[in-house]
Parts: sequence; C-alpha cells; structure tokens
Amino acid sequence: MADYKALPHWLAVWIEIIGQFRLPSVFFAVCRVIESVRVDYEACSKPFMIVEGEMKYQEIFPVPREWVQDIDEFMAETVTRWAEQEVIAGRLEHAEDYDKLLVPAIRKLFIDIGLQSMLWPEELGGGGLGTPEAAMTVATVLEQVGFADTGIGFLYANSFALQHAFAVEPHRNGELLQELVPVFCGDEVAVGSLVLPGYGSGNPGEGGAFHGLAYQVAAESRNGGWALSGKAVRPQCSGKTAALFAVAFDAGDGEPAVVLLKSDDDGLSSGEPFKKTGLAASLNADLDLKEVEAPGALVILRGEERFREMLSVYYMCCAAICVGSLLATYEILKVWGDTRVIKGKGQEFKENPLVASLMGEAAGGIATSRVLTYNLARMLSRPDIYGPPGSQATYATATVIFKHVTRSAMLSMNNTMELMGSAGYATEWNLERYWRDVKCIENSVIPETAARVDLARHFFGCRTL
Amino acid sequence: MRSIDDFTRPVEYLSPLDRSLGEILRNWAEKEVIPNRREYDEDWEEHRLIEPAFGRLMAELGLQRVLFPEEVGGWGLGHSDYLGTGSYRMFEEIARADSAMAVAFGVVFWPLIMICNEPHVNMRLCEEFAPMFCETDKAVFCANAMTEPQGGADIENMDLLKGSTIETTAVLDGDQWVINGHKLWPTNSGGVADLFGVVCTTSPGSIDPEDFAFIFVPGDAEGVTQGKPYQKAGMAADKNSDIWFENVRVPSWYRACGPGDDFKYFKEVICLGSMGTVAFVSGAMMNVYEILKGFCEEKTYRGRPLKENDDVAGLLADFVRDLEVIRVIGYQFARMMDRPDLYGDRWSEEMVVKGRAFKYFAADKAVENLGLVMNLMGAHGSDRVRDVEKHWRDLKIAQLWMGGKQLCQMEVARWFFECETL
Repeated sequence: MADYKALPHWLAVWIEIIGQFRLPSVFFAVCRVIESVRVDYEACSKPFMIVEGEMKYQEIFPVPREWVQDIDEFMAETVTRWAEQEVIAGRLEHAEDYDKLLVPAIRKLFIDIGLQSMLWPEELGGGGLGTPEAAMTVATVLEQVGFADTGIGFLYANSFALQHAFAVEPHRNGELLQELVPVFCGDEVAVGSLVLPGYGSGNPGEGGAFHGLAYQVAAESRNGGWALSGKAVRPQCSGKTAALFAVAFDAGDGEPAVVLLKSDDDGLSSGEPFKKTGLAASLNADLDLKEVEAPGALVILRGEERFREMLSVYYMCCAAICVGSLLATYEILKVWGDTRVIKGKGQEFKENPLVASLMGEAAGGIATSRVLTYNLARMLSRPDIYGPPGSQATYATATVIFKHVTRSAMLSMNNTMELMGSAGYATEWNLERYWRDVKCIENSVIPETAARVDLARHFFGCRTL
Repeated sequence: MRSIDDFTRPVEYLSPLDRSLGEILRNWAEKEVIPNRREYDEDWEEHRLIEPAFGRLMAELGLQRVLFPEEVGGWGLGHSDYLGTGSYRMFEEIARADSAMAVAFGVVFWPLIMICNEPHVNMRLCEEFAPMFCETDKAVFCANAMTEPQGGADIENMDLLKGSTIETTAVLDGDQWVINGHKLWPTNSGGVADLFGVVCTTSPGSIDPEDFAFIFVPGDAEGVTQGKPYQKAGMAADKNSDIWFENVRVPSWYRACGPGDDFKYFKEVICLGSMGTVAFVSGAMMNVYEILKGFCEEKTYRGRPLKENDDVAGLLADFVRDLEVIRVIGYQFARMMDRPDLYGDRWSEEMVVKGRAFKYFAADKAVENLGLVMNLMGAHGSDRVRDVEKHWRDLKIAQLWMGGKQLCQMEVARWFFECETL
C-alpha cells in the first residue's frame, strides 16, 4: 500500500489536508503542479513503480507505465489510502454493512476526495479533468476502489459513464454542467445510474430495440422534450438511492438517445430494493415511469456513435473495477499459499505443483486483464491516435476487453476458491465477496448472448443479426 | 409440457419406494421450503424459518429414522439393497428446493453409516442412539467432525496420509475414551448437532490403520464446545463452526467399529459424501432448469422468445446435456453403492476414487453451467427473485467441500494411473 511518509513533506501535508477537508479543486490543482515539477519517482512509494525489496501487487502485475501520468498516480494513491482507512480497516467489524461501512466510505470518496465532481470545470467547483485523458485517470482510480469494494466502484463507474457523456471534451455541455452543479458539486452524494436496453418482457411500455435488446422505456416526443413510460425498469445500480438516471430510449427510427431523469421527477417511482448476489453498496430497485417528462436539454446524447461511446467508457470502468478485485484476490491467495501446508506437515501449499499451476493461471489472468484494461483506457483517452471512442471498432474492443476481464476474473476467483477450500466461501476471508460482486457485474452490464452477437456482427460482418 | 421428470434415470435401479418417497418430498419442498428460501440467507444464524421446515421433514415425516434397523424403530435403509438409490432420490428432491437443507439432512446419515450399514451394524450403538432419532417429535442432527485447523481436508486423504495428520486424540482410560482436539467446519455444527462422529487418533503421527478411531460423542457431553456458526457465501441452512473437545469422556464402546475397521469403513462415509454431492448438484440443476425454462419463454431477444434464438438455444442445450449426464452418473454411482456384489465394497479404494471422480465432475459442471445461465439471464441472473444465483452460490460450496477439486484429482490420478509418489 502507498506509504505517505515516503512522500516529500510538503506533498504529504497537502494530501493530509485533502484527506481531512473537502477540497477537490485544490486537490486537482495540486496534482497539476506536481505533474509540472515532475516529482522524483524514486522518492515515493507508487502504485505502479517497483520499489526494491517491497514487491506488492501494484508492482508485480504490469501496467503500461508510460501512459500513466502523475495526476493519475497521485489520485490512485489517495484512493489507496481511502481504501485502507475507510473500507478495509472497518471490514472486520462491519463486513458489508451498508449504513455503518459503505455509506461513510462512499461519502468520503465521492465528496471529500472529490471523485463526484472530478470532471466538472474548476470554475464550477469541480476538478477540471473534463478531457478524454480522464479515462486513464479513472482506470487507475477504479482499480483501487475495486480493490477495496467492488460495489462502490460500480456506483462510480455508472456515475462516471453518465457524466462523461456531457462533461468531457468534445461533448462538454456548458448549460447542462451549470444546471447540475448543485447535484454533483454540492455536499450530498449523487450517484448516477444507467438504464440500458435489456431483454424484452412484452411490457406495453417497451419501445424499440438496440442491437436486439429492448429499450426498457417507451418515449414520446412532447413539448420539445420527451415523456417516458415503463414498468419494472431495471437500472444498473442504486434504483433506490440514485440522484439521477440516464435512461436510454429510442428517439425515432431506431436512433438511440439518453436522457437524464431526476429521482424526484413527477411520475418516477422506485420499488423496494431487491435482494441480489452481491454489490452491497448498490441498493437497487426497479423503477416505474408514468409519462415522466424531461426537457430536451436533459438529453445527454443522441445517435448510435455517442451511445456506443458511453457504453465503451462504462465497460472500461467496469473492467477496471474487476482488475481491482483481481488484485485483492491475488493478495488473499498469496497469504494462503504462504501459510498453509498440503499433504501433511512440511510441504508449503504454494510449492505443490498442482497448486502452483492454478496459481500461475490466476496470475496470468490478472496480468492480462490489467494490461488490457489500461490499453482500453488509453484508446478512450487518445482519440487522436485510436479514432472516435464511439466507433464500431472501439466499441467492439471495449466489449471484448470487458468480457475477457470479467470472464478471467471469475475463472481466477473460482480457482482461488478451489485452492482455499472452505475458506474460499467463508465470509471471514473476504474472497467470496469479490466473487459475488464480480459475478453481478459480469451478468448485469450486458447479457452474454448480446455481447457475442455484437462481436460477430462487427468482426464477421453479419448483416441480419 | 416437458418437466424435470423427463430427465433420464436408470429406472431399473430404483427402489420400490422411489415414487412415493419422491412425491412426499416434492410436496414438502413446494410447501415448506420454496416459498421461503429467498429469506434463508438472512436466517443463517438463527434458523427461525429453516428450523420448522426441518422439523416437518425429519420428525413429522420421520425421515431422520430411515437408516436405523427396524428392530430399533428405524426404516432399515441401512441394510436394504437401496441405500444408494433411495438416499439419492431423497437428497435430490430436497436439493431441488435447497441444497443446504439436503446436506444438513444427509449428514444426519453420515456418521450413522458407520453403525447402521451392513455388514458392520453395531447393534449396541444402534440401540443406544436410535431413541434420540426415533422417539422424538423434534428434528435431531448428527455431525461428522473430521477437518482440523492444521491441514484442512488432509484427514480425508486417507490412502496417502493414513490418518497420520490427525491431531485430535482419543486415549483409553479404563472403560472410557478421553478425547481432546479442535475440529472445524462440520455440517450441522454451530450448536445444531446432537451427536458427533469424531475422527481421532489413538497414536498421533501413526500410519497404522488401527490407530484411526471413529468415536461417537453426544453434543451435550461435558467438554464439548460448539462455536458460533460461520457466515458463508451460501448454504445458510447448513451451519458450520469450530468445535472443541476438552477432556471429553465417553464409554469405550462408543467407538464405531473398532481398530482397523474404523479406518476401513470410514471410506464408505466418503463414498456417501461423494454420492450425496452429485445428488445435490442434480437436484439444484433440475430446479434451475425449471426457472430457466420459464425465463426463456417470458423474455425476448431480437423480437423472439429467448429460447427461440439459435445462440441461446445452444447454451440451453449444453445445460440440459450436462444435467442429463450428471443425473445418470449419479444414479449409476448410487447403484454401485447398492450392489457391492457387482461393483465391489463400498469402502474399497476403487469406489472412493470413482465417487470422487463423479463428485468433482458434477460439481465442476454445475458451477460452470450455472455461471453461464446467470450470464444468459443478464441483470436478472444475479437477483434473488429468480433463485438461480442461490443455487450458484450453494453449488460452489458443494464443489469445494470434502477436500475440494485438487484432492479429488490426486486420488483419481493415483488410482487410475497407478501413481506412486502423489
């Protein structure tokens, strides 16, 4: 873990201040100063640099270091400390308690550290990171959040993908940013939740389809805006607690669009949170929409390319969370392998060839997942090199990488659980929590069959699917 | 309309009681368990919802007495020709509703096998313990105290370690055994068990089979302490905890079969555990089939019911293919337990190994398939409303218990390939 005592004194003081007070814009400004003076890498313990004699998970698994900027690294370090102090330290006592552990940790991360307003312009009280490079920053950050708590990472992945559609160049929407300042730059936690197409249910409210998946709401153009209706609409997260929902709908002739709805909009109601496999930080509930009216100004994107861009960003964020969970899995397995014996006394667990082969497979999965996720973040952060983030090619790559990482994560976690036997499924060892959480992400973000067909359509030129 | 009863079973193997027992258990499951099982995860510590369902199953329906001989009030399953197939059907039907209840029920049989099964019936102990189970209106549970902190499932690795790693000791003091040790994880611990079967050694470090002892200990014996139940990923109806035995004294005749025979017949216990696991898997997968069929008829993709999409149909086919295979394998192994005259002793190394192979095949396939089913169901795969995620969590645990996959692999390779150093 990051050791702040190793930082230059003045920087440690600044980070301490940031940790105690809500000064996101100051934090980001400091980060930019740091970036400009190029702090000596050797002087600091960093998540992505090898420090001799202190091989930790951050250093062992590869990262394309040349793409990670100082600001990304310092953000990650801050979040690493948040993870240790706000989540991991309380895990033993509070397990996954929503009120005692998760809510305070979310508040600290979103408000005090300032992730919630990271993309907002400084003049509006935000962090001023509204450029495509924010994709790399969020990858480094979400990896650390996912290490601590996959569910909190999932909330932020939703919020980030939602904000990315109107807060990041070249799609920055000044009027909308101004309007939403009280939501995202205020004192209250504001989680944004995506409402994406899914399987159809034959509900009368459903309208149109995107790549074979049905939009969960029907939309009617009304007074320059839209009226949306739908029953048992399932958001990606936080149906009970989100401040905003970014709802995908068919804007006519099959054109996808996404509009923001506020949780207190007339006609929008949520049911009771439903029980689910994992992601305790998300109190999810289905929504009912009865002709909920939204002005045209709240439409944050239109067109297939823009929608694909939002999805690509979302997939990258979710992949980064899963990488964090994989790194946590590695740490758990490392301790297990170092401290257990097999076949009687004297044979260290990790020295058994069968065990070692599974450990090797897990390590390979972690390494490739991490490299792939950073590559995807790089593609999204550098459209000048890789083309528009909403291109069919980038979307296909994002889908491939998301599916690869989640599949790899499940395989590695399944293998690790097998190696740990009963401890693998005992809550005390924490591994089963990551396993449940990542499974939720794997199956919630995009149905497996739809992802496969999407890829076949792109890579094989299927015309009728 | 197709149903779970359309999956293949070798019908000529089945017991005469199969149909009626199956119907009774299915009715019980539909009425007592399935409507409540979504609340079981929150009930893992108290068992307020779970206990009444057990009471109906085990005491009112009388299933806790099935293994005991008729002359002490039991149903005589232990000396029938249908120990395997009869048990399999019961385990499967219960697991269709809740595999944790199935394992908790199955473990009532587990230590009792040592004294109720032919040819090693210990009538004195049957007479001693039968009233606990046969003359009561409450559910009564057993537990097998095997696993120890230092080596996990090493104790079950019998052919390699021959009991040499057991640290729980049994010392004969006059006409009493004095037992000391620390056990982990038994099903039905955490305050549930009324009777323990405890794996001990009479000579720590010994590889002599005669030093392996299986001794019964009443749950309320002085010196027995059961810890609080562990919280787990699933299987809320199965409580597990630490157990400490501190100078626990029991009569000398509480040893199940005696020197040498305890070691020999304990392998039969392992065989039943493997067969039970396959039954839990096939029962839970049958329920997933029911849920999945409904889901794929209700939901649409590309304008058609999910099941009418070729790519979805491919996955559905893979799922039922594996379930079909697992069920046939399970009943075949149950038959092998029923007919030692054809397939060899239930405690033979060959049977242990084949049971391990079937167990880890079934559990691996289940975990793989249920993961894919959850992915197919998308956002509905991980909500508890559909119950698939519950089976997924539960069967993951079934995959890992009894030494997990690696122990199975070693034993299977050792026997079939005659490995000499594993």
